[in-house]
Amino acid sequence: MSEPLFVFHGIEKTFAEVKILRKVDLSLFPGKCILLTGKNGSGKTTLLKIIAGLEKPEKAEIELSGKSRCWKKFMPIIRKEIIYLHQQAFLFSGSVESNVAYGLRFTTLTREQRRESLKKALEWSGLTELAKQQANTLSGGVQQRVAFTRAWILKPKVLLLDEPVSNMDQESREQACLLMQQMKSSGMSIVITSHVPQYFDGLADVQYDLANGQLLQ
Amino acid sequence: MNGLLLTTQQALQLLLYGDAELWSIVLLSFSVSLKAILLTTPVALLLAFGLHHGNFPGSRFILAFFNSLLSVPTVVVGLFLYVLLTRQGPFGDLKLLFTQSAMVIGQMFLCFPVLVALGYAAIQSADRRVWETARTLGAPRWFAILTIFYEVRFGLLAAVLTGFGRVISEVGISMMVGGNIMGYTRNITTAIALETSKGEFAQGIALGLVLLSLAFLLTAFLSYIQSKKRVTT
Repeated sequence: MSEPLFVFHGIEKTFAEVKILRKVDLSLFPGKCILLTGKNGSGKTTLLKIIAGLEKPEKAEIELSGKSRCWKKFMPIIRKEIIYLHQQAFLFSGSVESNVAYGLRFTTLTREQRRESLKKALEWSGLTELAKQQANTLSGGVQQRVAFTRAWILKPKVLLLDEPVSNMDQESREQACLLMQQMKSSGMSIVITSHVPQYFDGLADVQYDLANGQLLQ
Repeated sequence: MNGLLLTTQQALQLLLYGDAELWSIVLLSFSVSLKAILLTTPVALLLAFGLHHGNFPGSRFILAFFNSLLSVPTVVVGLFLYVLLTRQGPFGDLKLLFTQSAMVIGQMFLCFPVLVALGYAAIQSADRRVWETARTLGAPRWFAILTIFYEVRFGLLAAVLTGFGRVISEVGISMMVGGNIMGYTRNITTAIALETSKGEFAQGIALGLVLLSLAFLLTAFLSYIQSKKRVTT
């Protein structure tokens, strides 16, 4: 197996005096997909948000290039490589293309390169014809596709997907799984949370159950 | 009744024939109030964001304080500022009393709580996912804040317009720290008070019509942006 991109050690988090994450360890490998299952409120979303740098843990260490440091030290470096997608896709007000292009302005790409990336990304996800449409007028499935594309265009090393196919019909679900498979094949490390593991049978390489604050394989 | 009609007719003539004195008063009013609102808005909205997002001890108390200042009488602000700026006051050396700058400062005090309280309400209505999405897509903090402001722009615009309505129509501060000096610190509201006390109703009514038109325009614009908000959400 290849070297892990990032390794998280001993993640701890408490909410209202309830310890929901107890020394959780997680390694993220390129081109691999982890499926996280667990009951409602078991801490799946919190774990993803901590990995994405959107939530602060009480304790955690991150291992990067063989060195292990407190999360505060490495998080500013690795958060640029990690993108988190909400359970229900959140799209900014504006067109599909303005949403997809949102993160490009923070990259070092030139205007011409950005335009080219945007074009490729819209083609990749089959959204070219909807590019000018207002994003919040689209169906839930298409909105999720826009969110995937908005993440894919930035080529993150890790993609964290919180219940990515919940409330989707079968067709939208299959389309979303196809996009996830393509992202995984391109070398992205993917972490998915779901109540229905069967949806990701061909996609997930390893499955963990989060129970009592701990990950069980 | 005939007297009122005649005076209103004279007032309309003053407005339509471009009476220089009257329009200079109108321009001064807008100039002072626009400066006040433009200088206050960025600071007040950032504070509103900080109060909502910072979650620090005392943030609720600060918000409650600003909410309680929403209905503060303008003469109280004027009096407070007068005491500060008078020659014997702590800022007397700045010689700001009876200047447009004093009026701007006073109006800033007046619209600050409006912008903080209404700005907070608008920012509070923003989906939490706006911040998280912006940050996870690589936006620096300042851009994520601007993204939130953009998402709740209709609410923020309503806050700014309400603040502008509050300052353009105030009389207490302008009278007390402006001094109602013709051509220098006389604005619409102080001019109305003066002309009425002199029995010169035509100019008072003309200026009143300007304020009323502004009030109608602001209300119409607020209704328009509210309807636009409903369409886009």
